[in-house]
Amino acid sequence: MSQGTVTLESRELSKTYYSTDPPTEVLLGIDLSVRAGEFLVIMGASGSGKSTLLYSISGMDKPTSGNVTLEGRELTSLSDAEMSNVRLTRMGFVFQQPHFLRNLDVRDNILLPALKGAAKGKDKDAAIARVDALMERFGISHIKDHGITQVSGGQLQRASICRALAGEPSVLFADEPTGALNSSMSDEVMDALTDVHRDGTTIVMVTHDPGVAARGDRVIYLRDGALVDANEMGPWQPDTAQQREDDLLTWLRELGF
Amino acid sequence: MRSTTVKNGERLYLRYAYNDLSRNKGVNAALIVILILSAFLMATGSMVIERLAGSISRLSEQGKPPDFLQMHLGDYDRAALERFAADHESEIAAWLVEEMLGFDSASLTWERPSTGENGDLAASRIDNLFVTQNAEFDFLVDWTGGVVRPAAGEVYVPVLYEQQYGLTAGDVLTISTDAGPHRLEVRGSVKDAQMAASLSPSSRFLIHPEDFEALARAGGAVPEIIAEYRLTAGSDANAIQTAYEGAGGLPTNGQPVTGQQLRIISMISDGLVAFALVFISLVLVAIALLNLRFVISGSLEDEVHEIGAMKAIGIPDRAISALYLTKYSILALVACVVGGLLAVVAANALTQSIETSYAQAPVGIWTFLVPLIALAAVYVIVVAICRGVLGRVKKIEVVNALVHGSTLDEKQTARRAKREARWVRRTGLASSSGAGVNRRLALLDLRAEGRAWVLVPVVFGLTAVLITLPANLVSTFESPQFVTYLGAPERDLRADVQFQQGVDDVKDRLVAAMADDDRLTDVQTYAYVDYSADSADGRARLRVEVGNHVDGAIRFSQGGLPQDGQIALSILNAEKYQVGVGDDLTIDDGDESITVQVSGIYQDLTAGGQTAKMPGEVTEGASAYTVFADLADDGADPAGIADEYGEQFPTAGVKPTQEYARETLGVLIDSMRGAAWIALVFGLGVAVLITSLFLKLRLTRDRPKMGVLSAIGFSANEIVGQVRTKTLLVVAAGTVVGLVFAATAGQSLASAALAAAQLGITDLTFIPNPWLVYVLYPLLLLGAGHLGVALLTAGIRRADKSQWL
Repeated sequence: MSQGTVTLESRELSKTYYSTDPPTEVLLGIDLSVRAGEFLVIMGASGSGKSTLLYSISGMDKPTSGNVTLEGRELTSLSDAEMSNVRLTRMGFVFQQPHFLRNLDVRDNILLPALKGAAKGKDKDAAIARVDALMERFGISHIKDHGITQVSGGQLQRASICRALAGEPSVLFADEPTGALNSSMSDEVMDALTDVHRDGTTIVMVTHDPGVAARGDRVIYLRDGALVDANEMGPWQPDTAQQREDDLLTWLRELGF
Repeated sequence: MRSTTVKNGERLYLRYAYNDLSRNKGVNAALIVILILSAFLMATGSMVIERLAGSISRLSEQGKPPDFLQMHLGDYDRAALERFAADHESEIAAWLVEEMLGFDSASLTWERPSTGENGDLAASRIDNLFVTQNAEFDFLVDWTGGVVRPAAGEVYVPVLYEQQYGLTAGDVLTISTDAGPHRLEVRGSVKDAQMAASLSPSSRFLIHPEDFEALARAGGAVPEIIAEYRLTAGSDANAIQTAYEGAGGLPTNGQPVTGQQLRIISMISDGLVAFALVFISLVLVAIALLNLRFVISGSLEDEVHEIGAMKAIGIPDRAISALYLTKYSILALVACVVGGLLAVVAANALTQSIETSYAQAPVGIWTFLVPLIALAAVYVIVVAICRGVLGRVKKIEVVNALVHGSTLDEKQTARRAKREARWVRRTGLASSSGAGVNRRLALLDLRAEGRAWVLVPVVFGLTAVLITLPANLVSTFESPQFVTYLGAPERDLRADVQFQQGVDDVKDRLVAAMADDDRLTDVQTYAYVDYSADSADGRARLRVEVGNHVDGAIRFSQGGLPQDGQIALSILNAEKYQVGVGDDLTIDDGDESITVQVSGIYQDLTAGGQTAKMPGEVTEGASAYTVFADLADDGADPAGIADEYGEQFPTAGVKPTQEYARETLGVLIDSMRGAAWIALVFGLGVAVLITSLFLKLRLTRDRPKMGVLSAIGFSANEIVGQVRTKTLLVVAAGTVVGLVFAATAGQSLASAALAAAQLGITDLTFIPNPWLVYVLYPLLLLGAGHLGVALLTAGIRRADKSQWL
């Protein structure tokens, strides 16, 4: 899909949790368009619905109403198996906690979606070579045989990015990817994500950290389940980083952040 | 002040327990169901055993059965009996000779004048003995325990016939005698302390002495007697039996029985289901305890942050444990109360037939204490195990709990990390592909988390033992090969010419007829010759089966077939005469003494387990004979041929060998089949319940993992498939181990139980029904596991996967 065209779109997206009394309306009819190759950041106070929005547009959760399309394909009407296949082949995920399988070493954890994809027809050897290359690129090939309890949080999160990229997704979803890391590890991870974005991968990221959000091309702001404003910031450059962060903070303060 | 604090503390515990119970309804419901089942079966089993023992004792008090009796067919010397009684005056409190008239079931018919209904008792396999009421003891009593004395023309039928044929007061019982029909009016039923057991081969009809005389004169009956003895307090029935058998000249042409044997046979035949219930409940208690351990460990891990916080603010370990213990104490208490109440209903239903056959057991302190003690034992064991598992609270470190959310200390955490690192080093996921990824993941999970899954195979192993053990016993007892445990060869037809006058003549004519019959081959005769020998209690009678004994027909536990100059003894006889293989035994047939060497010891259920075998041929003068024959045509119907011979030789007792086994063990097999069904139903129910409970907890803990898998493209079906693969693998492993255990150790356990019952079998080899035990039951268990997976994974497809992360 060419740069600039809308790749992911939600219309009238609502989500209500009926397990609470009274039911909690978390998303109130969100209209959102994500352009191909864009790095979109979702911000908002705790409980504003930003993670729910991320999981609803990525098909992890089913919205209560509204619809989501990815590359022109309606996601909300897909079956569980079809949606799983979309996640496998078109999406990648990075979570706040790395969420790796304890029974696999780092490399096998990264390989898992690639192997799963290979089962769906992609070439397995190519997938393995791609994973090895990704680990090399993100500086974690030396820990490939390690158990996940034997490596640092930053290494794990970079491994998480490798796993998300293993299936060559068109969109990478990241939910507070630096939320559990210290500042130096946080920078490692954001450098990695910025690298991925430069390669042309679309990124949708949730964060509450303005420093991290400054990496994005565009920041949208959610309040009580509604999209209240958006800030087009353009491509990130290392030399303007501080300026972007200050501008973003000013904008956020105006929104009551 | 202190008591107020304690009260507040107790209220807090109760409130916590209540909140926990209402929050985790599914898990707690499954736990309490298992606990209720355990308590229910334990209480029911113990109540039935107590009631049965009480009923037998009650009837024993009312009917005053003999402490030792000797059945006899044929003439006898009354003076010899009087001499024996005089010689043993200090041991014998009272004695009598009961005269009986035995009529074949086919000669008894009944009609109901009020409705015109009628029928016969031909289907009954029990010997029908007509007697008059005794004067001093061995009374036949009515349902109130009163001694019944029928008027002339009246008959009281055995309770069994009242139950089976509905014979009731006002019916007319007609006995076909040689002189024509003899009609008696049924006045009611009588309970018989001596012949009440379901396993008893005979039953007594009570009539007036005038009718007895008339029936005796009319002919058509086989007259028998029982010499019966009531002993003085402290006297040993076995010693009297030995003295009786060694005295000489006394009537011995029949089965000797002691009061203790009567009691054991009653407990075995009517108490088997109750014993099975207790066995099932023990297995269930074990399963419940394993479950509790698993659930409590899981709760501690899930709530480690809260426990850490409580410790951090200074709440003592005991108080934290008490929070959890309160809930499990409440569950155990409720289970015991509900199980106990249900048991009252079930025990009432189960003891109804016992009370009909025996007597209404008096309600005493033990009636309440026995089930209460059983329930208290369940409660105490459950609470003790919970307390033990909750001891782990003490070991939880505050920092590890709060910061790392771990119940482990640093050393344990390091050990675990090392262990996990070892596990993952060679996972080799890259070498698998396709659908293999799912299977591979499931196997890796199992390999790494085997300890967490161990509950399921253990429970299925126990369940497999629980359901296959009684099934194996039933199939073994029903198997055609089982006759070898009855000391008999595996032949088609069997004729018993015994306990009657003119046995030689009947036997000769029967053997001649069989030998001339083209349909039969290989006619063989075994003679029973009475000897006496020195036993542990003195001189005793030893009935020896003389004939051409062949290999494979007898279940030797030691040694082998007797050759010339040798004898083989049943296990109980080897004990009685205190000899082993290779020992010499001197036996005396009244004319001369010979010394024979014991060649082997074998298992035998017949004749009270007391038999012996010697080679040779005895054609006349024996007490009894058994004739065996095979069918020339394997497809022929042995029952038809047996019936023909039965008509021609009515006193020869010709039967297909299988029917002989069925008659000997029919009631026992029926009881065991009941126990097997109960075990199957409860076993499968528990298997589904445990699988569901385990998966409920396991899936809750595996949510993050399932969330990751879902995020990276595994569909709900694939995730459910992994759960199914893991579950079915552990179910299959547990089932296989259980089946192997049942076939090996279970066989030894069953043998030990039979040996303890002193029936004459000490070494049982199961003859399982392979389709049932090795195909159907494993499939049922796999089905139970599958059902558990289906029930618990139904929610996975509907769930919002992000909630799992």
